[in-house]
Amino acid sequence: MIVTFNCLQIDLTGSIVKVFLTLKVENAASASDASQVLVAFMPTEVQHLAIVKATRAEGKRKKKAYTPLSVQESDLPTTPNGARLYSVQLSTPLKPGETTTLQVFYVLTHSLDPFPAEISQSESQLVYYRDSAVLLSPYNVLEQVTYIKMPSNRIESFTRVDPTTRAGTELKYGTYNNQMPNTYLPILVHFENNRPFAIVEELVRKVEISHWGNVQITEHYKMKHGGARHKGAFSRSIQLNASWLLTQNFLARLEYQSRPSISGTSSFKNLLARLPPRVHSVYYRDEIGNISSSHLRTDSHKSELEIEPRYPLFGGWHCTFTIGYGLSLQDFLFEADDGRRYINLTFGCPLLDTVVDDLTVKVVLPEGSKNPQPVVPFLAEQHLETSYSYLDVVGRTTVVLKKKNVVGEHNVPFQVHYEFNPIFMLAEPLMLIFAVFLFFVACIAYLHMDLSIGKAS
Amino acid sequence: MAAKAISSPVPVDWYPTLAVIMVSVGLMFTATFFIYEATSSRRSRSLAKEITTAAVASIFLGFGSLFVLLASGVYV
Repeated sequence: MIVTFNCLQIDLTGSIVKVFLTLKVENAASASDASQVLVAFMPTEVQHLAIVKATRAEGKRKKKAYTPLSVQESDLPTTPNGARLYSVQLSTPLKPGETTTLQVFYVLTHSLDPFPAEISQSESQLVYYRDSAVLLSPYNVLEQVTYIKMPSNRIESFTRVDPTTRAGTELKYGTYNNQMPNTYLPILVHFENNRPFAIVEELVRKVEISHWGNVQITEHYKMKHGGARHKGAFSRSIQLNASWLLTQNFLARLEYQSRPSISGTSSFKNLLARLPPRVHSVYYRDEIGNISSSHLRTDSHKSELEIEPRYPLFGGWHCTFTIGYGLSLQDFLFEADDGRRYINLTFGCPLLDTVVDDLTVKVVLPEGSKNPQPVVPFLAEQHLETSYSYLDVVGRTTVVLKKKNVVGEHNVPFQVHYEFNPIFMLAEPLMLIFAVFLFFVACIAYLHMDLSIGKAS
Repeated sequence: MAAKAISSPVPVDWYPTLAVIMVSVGLMFTATFFIYEATSSRRSRSLAKEITTAAVASIFLGFGSLFVLLASGVYV
């Protein structure tokens, strides 16, 4: 197997690193059929690798169709320096002498190191990115080129591996010819990146299903600004050195909120959550109560919830908050052909442009549900537990799904199938009826008893 | 897969109305029960009538309180 052409496009414009890899692979003429193509990652990359997706281009130019392929972590031991191999399973094996084009997309989190690690409020944030100028590949690479896209023109330094050219916000490494397998040419890029490094350290999403007509979702966030740490004092009024009018702190705050670009450029003050359409009863609060700075916009396709933390977040600062909302049952709960119920929800975090280090999804099924079976399109740790809510006797079966390193690409539907007999819906009203009836029986018993002291006449 | 959407047995919009109606009917039966208890003497009471009124009142109050919970957003 040889790689005849490889184009590596690295997108560093956000707080996460997105890499698009276009590979033209050829099965060497005298070999047997190939059913997989290996892609190698450095050990430092593997621990930050959030998702790997691959597609195969089929057909000629205009009728080009991309078929998704499955990617598996392969455990072949024959890699130098602990590089890890991922194998892309081809849908149809590649015969000797044939070529095909693969597109691999992967996302790396926590791969931009802020340097300097501490900045004051008026400085902008510079980060390092380390990678290789050529693709780390177990195959011979005949021709390759690497493009790195930066968010701004300000590039402090970059490693030169000739030929290297810089055009505005883009760096081009290559073209390199005839690279041996496992070639690694380290490069280091130092550039300005003021995108908010919004990191959710821990997110617990709790989904409560009620067959009486509601799906209630509660999300607990522990958020952190993962960029360069904030140095010195924070002042809302530093930010308006230009405007002599705004001397009061309150007005200063308004000024910060309306013109964040004056300084504190890497900080962020609002977040956008994309929620399903037809949400109701939305709330946004933390330990000390409701946070009033939020806006909800709804239309027929989606709802957008814009929330502002109580204070703007600078590097290293934390905040915790809770979002909750209700969804109507008929949009999410379905009956499958085999009579089982299933709920269809989106897996990841609804906040845009965030990384979730530790995501827990708890699906609380109604009381009386049996045989829960989650269907998640990727690997996730799962177990069952029992939780108690209003008017529960035996407790509700809860499916717990855990995943680390979750990015926006994980916002895909997942299902939880379970068996449910609608007769269990009557358990709650029957309990209430029984309680009221007990009260009446007590009244009857009391009025029929003779509790008077002394002899009955 | 021809999946069928599942909705609540009673339309969600009816919950507040149902709550008001069922709780008021329930309270009326409760009132009847206590008026009967207070106005009849111990010997002239019929247990069957007491139990029937209590049962009807508790059915209405039970479902009524369920719909109060549902209408106020406590989905049980």
